[in-house]
Amino acid sequence: MATYDGLFNALGLRAWCDGGAEKAPMSMADLLAKTKGGGTTESLWNTPFPSLNALHDACKAIPQSRDLTQGLEAGFLDIRDILRVVVDPLTQPLSWALEDMLWVMTHTPWWIIMPVFFAITWLVTRSWKIVGLVAVIIGLLAFVDQYNEAMQTLAIIFVCAFVCVIIGVPIGIAMSRSDRLQRVVIPILDMLQTLPPFVYLIPLIFLFSVTEPKLYGIAIILYAIVPVVRLTDLGIRLVDRDVIEAADAFGMTSRQKLFGVQIPLALPNIMAGVNQTIMMSLAMVVIASLVSAPGLGVLVLRGIRNLELGVGLIAGFGIVVLAIALDRVTKAALARIDASQAQR
Amino acid sequence: MRKLLLISSALTAIFAMPAAASAQDGDAQKCGEISIAQMNWAAAEVTTNIAKFLLEQGYGCKVSLVKSDTIPAITSVAENGEPDVVTNLWLNSAGDAYKKLEKNGTMVRLASVLDPGGVEGWWIPTYLAKEHPELTTIEGVMKHPDWVGNRFNNCPDGWGCRVVSDNLVRALDLESSGIKVFNHGSGETLASSMGSAVTDEKPWFGYYWGPTVPMGKYDMTRVKLGDYNEEAFANLQNADAPDPKVSDFPAAPILTSATKDFTKTHPAETEFFRKMTFKTSAMSSLLAWQDENKASAEEVAVHFITENPDVWSGWINDSAKENLSKLLSQ
Repeated sequence: MATYDGLFNALGLRAWCDGGAEKAPMSMADLLAKTKGGGTTESLWNTPFPSLNALHDACKAIPQSRDLTQGLEAGFLDIRDILRVVVDPLTQPLSWALEDMLWVMTHTPWWIIMPVFFAITWLVTRSWKIVGLVAVIIGLLAFVDQYNEAMQTLAIIFVCAFVCVIIGVPIGIAMSRSDRLQRVVIPILDMLQTLPPFVYLIPLIFLFSVTEPKLYGIAIILYAIVPVVRLTDLGIRLVDRDVIEAADAFGMTSRQKLFGVQIPLALPNIMAGVNQTIMMSLAMVVIASLVSAPGLGVLVLRGIRNLELGVGLIAGFGIVVLAIALDRVTKAALARIDASQAQR
Repeated sequence: MRKLLLISSALTAIFAMPAAASAQDGDAQKCGEISIAQMNWAAAEVTTNIAKFLLEQGYGCKVSLVKSDTIPAITSVAENGEPDVVTNLWLNSAGDAYKKLEKNGTMVRLASVLDPGGVEGWWIPTYLAKEHPELTTIEGVMKHPDWVGNRFNNCPDGWGCRVVSDNLVRALDLESSGIKVFNHGSGETLASSMGSAVTDEKPWFGYYWGPTVPMGKYDMTRVKLGDYNEEAFANLQNADAPDPKVSDFPAAPILTSATKDFTKTHPAETEFFRKMTFKTSAMSSLLAWQDENKASAEEVAVHFITENPDVWSGWINDSAKENLSKLLSQ
């Protein structure tokens, strides 16, 4: 005797309800009722909300909420092949980029990779202090035999952060120039930031072979792209109105205004977005280890699964120092951009 | 008048509720609270739900299921003495950590929850084995690596089987045949790689274990690695074992264990856990039923309890039988 039996009887739908009856698995509640003996009528206090499951108890023709999730699954599987035809070739370059980058970073000997890193650090920061810091950190990681994993992690971050900037900056610029686009994109960004990463990993696992690097590549990019888009949009919108007016007075076309005035003035904000994007890629690399991303995250997972505290701690420490290095380098580069603007 | 009736019935409902709750508490006094570790795979969820129902309704216990995994559960027992009961414990994956607990008397082995035990090994889909019968031995696989897609799907880091498989790969020199080892990041991707290969009838070769939902759902054939050699296998279980020798996987013992304290304070319930064993084939068919009906673990438990009263009535004592007489008499 279910709570809402009376409702369907009163509406004269009983025949329709029983017509759709099929054998569904018995639920724990039914079994408990059977054990206790006889149908107990629920007290008013325990009246269930008229949810799909509660209505199903009274009227078998109404689907259970399980059928809803099953329907979603079936629908997704039906469009999967079409999605695959479109998305697979589109994302294939990401797989190649990740594979090649991983290969290059792990197969080039350390005595080439390390000087290259130091040179890049010097070029973007012009600060011996920071080059020294990077040298100490990479040296330390190599010393405790985490060099290979650290390089894999860095390779993934470089590729993903690069893709984020390539895609994210134009989206941000477009958003800053169209209020309507901004209204559409901001909720999407909010969603990407708040959804637990595993929620969008699930459809990805169904779409692509799990052995493809792009599976974790896409997961990282979706998560890390948000700050660069947001801050590009914000940076351009924050450019002083007087400056724009002056540019208008000079008769600049909107293209000239964008590339000659707005983007250079917004650069500090954009760079702050890039910095955040890099940090978020690093955070996501650990989670992406669950879908077979190589690197330090694997060691963290092993530490958790086997409770090898030492392995987990060292890998976690490796991630922290990598984060420090990346953060310092991008912050120093950012400071240089700010300084060069102050001089202008 | 009607309004008054409604109010009064609402009031009775409110007052009746705590009374009912305290009546339940009175029942629970006899046995108290039991915590059971629930591993995160289907067979374990079903077992724990069946145990929960029988203990709550038959013995009047208050059972809480703690979601856990092999190693965390053992560690928790070692450090905190909780949860009271760990079931579906794969001895091969738990390794030395568990044996230590048994040796120092913290945990007591109650039963093998599955009879004869779990199967683990390296598998290919049956359609591949039908097409190329040679692939049922590892020599055949290594001779024709392209038939299995040039890839071995390995266990995730941190699993007991990962150590064994890594050593076996070295012992067999698998990679020299052109098969690349792909290390999965989690059990989920390992399962979904198998699932998507089998549904598309593509080649697949890798580690898996049963009884599990994927093993019940997909028709897989085990690749013969050679004979089982106890000594060689023990050696394979150590990470980076020197000079590994090939041995097939033995039937894996899957245990129910409890803390020593629990066996002392809860003799009747301990007896129940000692008797609770499933035939491996019965568990496989339960999981197949679960997949067919898209049922939750709880519903599978209900299905088992309603369909097999003869099985579980042998596990429980007389007073529990009395409490559950309504179900048994049907």
